[in-house]
Amino acid sequence: MAADAPHPAFEGYATETVPQASVGAPGKDGRLELTFAADEAGRTQLVRDFAQAPFHVGRALDHDLHPDVATVYIQSSTGGVAQGDRHSVEISASEGAIAHVSTASRTRVLSMEHNYAAASVSLDIDRGSYLEYLPEPTVFNTDARYHQDVTLRVAPGSCAVFGDVVVPGRLACDEHFEFERYVSQLRVQDGAGLLFADTTDLHPAQDDPTAPGVLDEFAVYGSLYVVVPAASSSDESSVTDERPKPASLSDALHKRVADCEARAGATALPNDAGVLVRALGHSADSVTDALDNAWNRARTDLLGVSAPDPRKY
Amino acid sequence: MSDAAALAELRLADSFLPIGTDSLSYGVEQFLATDRVTDADDLRALLESYLRNQFGPGDLVALRAAHARASENNLVAVMETDYRLAAVTLTAEFRESSTLAGERLLALQSDLRGDGLVEEYAELVDIGDAPGNHAVILGIVTEHEGISARDACLLACHGFVTGLLGAAQRLLRLGHTDVQRVLDDLHPAMIVAVEDSADRAPEEMTPFAPLVETLSSEHERADRRLFRS
Repeated sequence: MAADAPHPAFEGYATETVPQASVGAPGKDGRLELTFAADEAGRTQLVRDFAQAPFHVGRALDHDLHPDVATVYIQSSTGGVAQGDRHSVEISASEGAIAHVSTASRTRVLSMEHNYAAASVSLDIDRGSYLEYLPEPTVFNTDARYHQDVTLRVAPGSCAVFGDVVVPGRLACDEHFEFERYVSQLRVQDGAGLLFADTTDLHPAQDDPTAPGVLDEFAVYGSLYVVVPAASSSDESSVTDERPKPASLSDALHKRVADCEARAGATALPNDAGVLVRALGHSADSVTDALDNAWNRARTDLLGVSAPDPRKY
Repeated sequence: MSDAAALAELRLADSFLPIGTDSLSYGVEQFLATDRVTDADDLRALLESYLRNQFGPGDLVALRAAHARASENNLVAVMETDYRLAAVTLTAEFRESSTLAGERLLALQSDLRGDGLVEEYAELVDIGDAPGNHAVILGIVTEHEGISARDACLLACHGFVTGLLGAAQRLLRLGHTDVQRVLDDLHPAMIVAVEDSADRAPEEMTPFAPLVETLSSEHERADRRLFRS
């Protein structure tokens, strides 16, 4: 495999040089590192942030309905993800932190003629911590090639909510599935190993994404993963896991999405890891509405407060 | 192939095999209930998609890995394959269906000739140390019966498709000749699925059928249903 190809499908692209700023040049290797921790009063603080262009973060916001939550919106100084970009996002929540992270606007993956773009996301959620990572949808322009690698490491009794929405083109311009390749590999692990994995592999020119059972007549595809690994049995006996069990949480989330405009449903994830909500729709808004409904319900069950109005605009 | 292996292959491919697959539809019931499948053509297209996007990149990869690892008598590696398949099977009903059929096949095979890896694996599944997914158990059993990995994959495709066709036939007005025609039409898709699975490492189990998953999650809560999945 070529040195930095993240997937066999990207080996050919990796050999192509980029005519403008090359792979690894300033502005191409975006890095973002955020660490949240609870202070003595139990309020979550952004205790460390490092952002290398095109990433930018302001201060943590505290508009959440839950008094201890810290909110960070990731901003970008560029118009989109270009060929040769390699982005890395590392977020950790420790010592009982409760944090919400999102992006300020949609991520646009621009058209490409050479090489590819890739993003690696790593979330570490410590025992007793709660992290939401719900970026705005990713939009794919014509001929885009994009690889996304997402790893969640969850400790027993922690909670992670991760959302991902794929918009396969500028739908208003009647552009559907004209990108070249999109591979997204999600792995969720606890200390003992893999809890579940989910791979999206779209190669529209070769495999028809509108095949029955795949996306069919729908264009936009979104997933919400509510990961609630059980508190381990080796915990102190006084600690009981009072959070809803995955099967009942799955029923509750399903109820919230069943009548949405998008076609959506919830199911319990493997290894009692939590709940998956899938949503398929004709527009990005219909899919995000369904996933937001599920997120709102999950938050009410797990944190005791509903989702706040975003402060992005 | 020996005569014994050929006969074992026919026995394992027969819908007569009592492993409960006649109670499973893997979401097909919901496609029919919501009028997404109304005739033989719709059914053919849907099953082709199942083979290409769901069964091929998931179950067949697991079957091949289990077959190879069983031939090396590597119980731990077979278990890893089993856990891996469980970890990428994201809908609850698919996992339940897969382990139900797997456990029944394992129990049946142990009764017939319980020795070696089959017996050892049956004990692991029994005490809950291995999930017992059908594709993995079929890999162990076919290897034990002297059936090649490729033939085992073709057998698995045939069993999967006939199971789903049987389910559809009970829900849809579909003649026996129509069903045979769909089965025959799907042979090229089965061969492609089997060939595609050969190039994949066990870590590359990547089923991808979001609408199947969404309808399966609807099926979990359906008021009226004939099938367990």
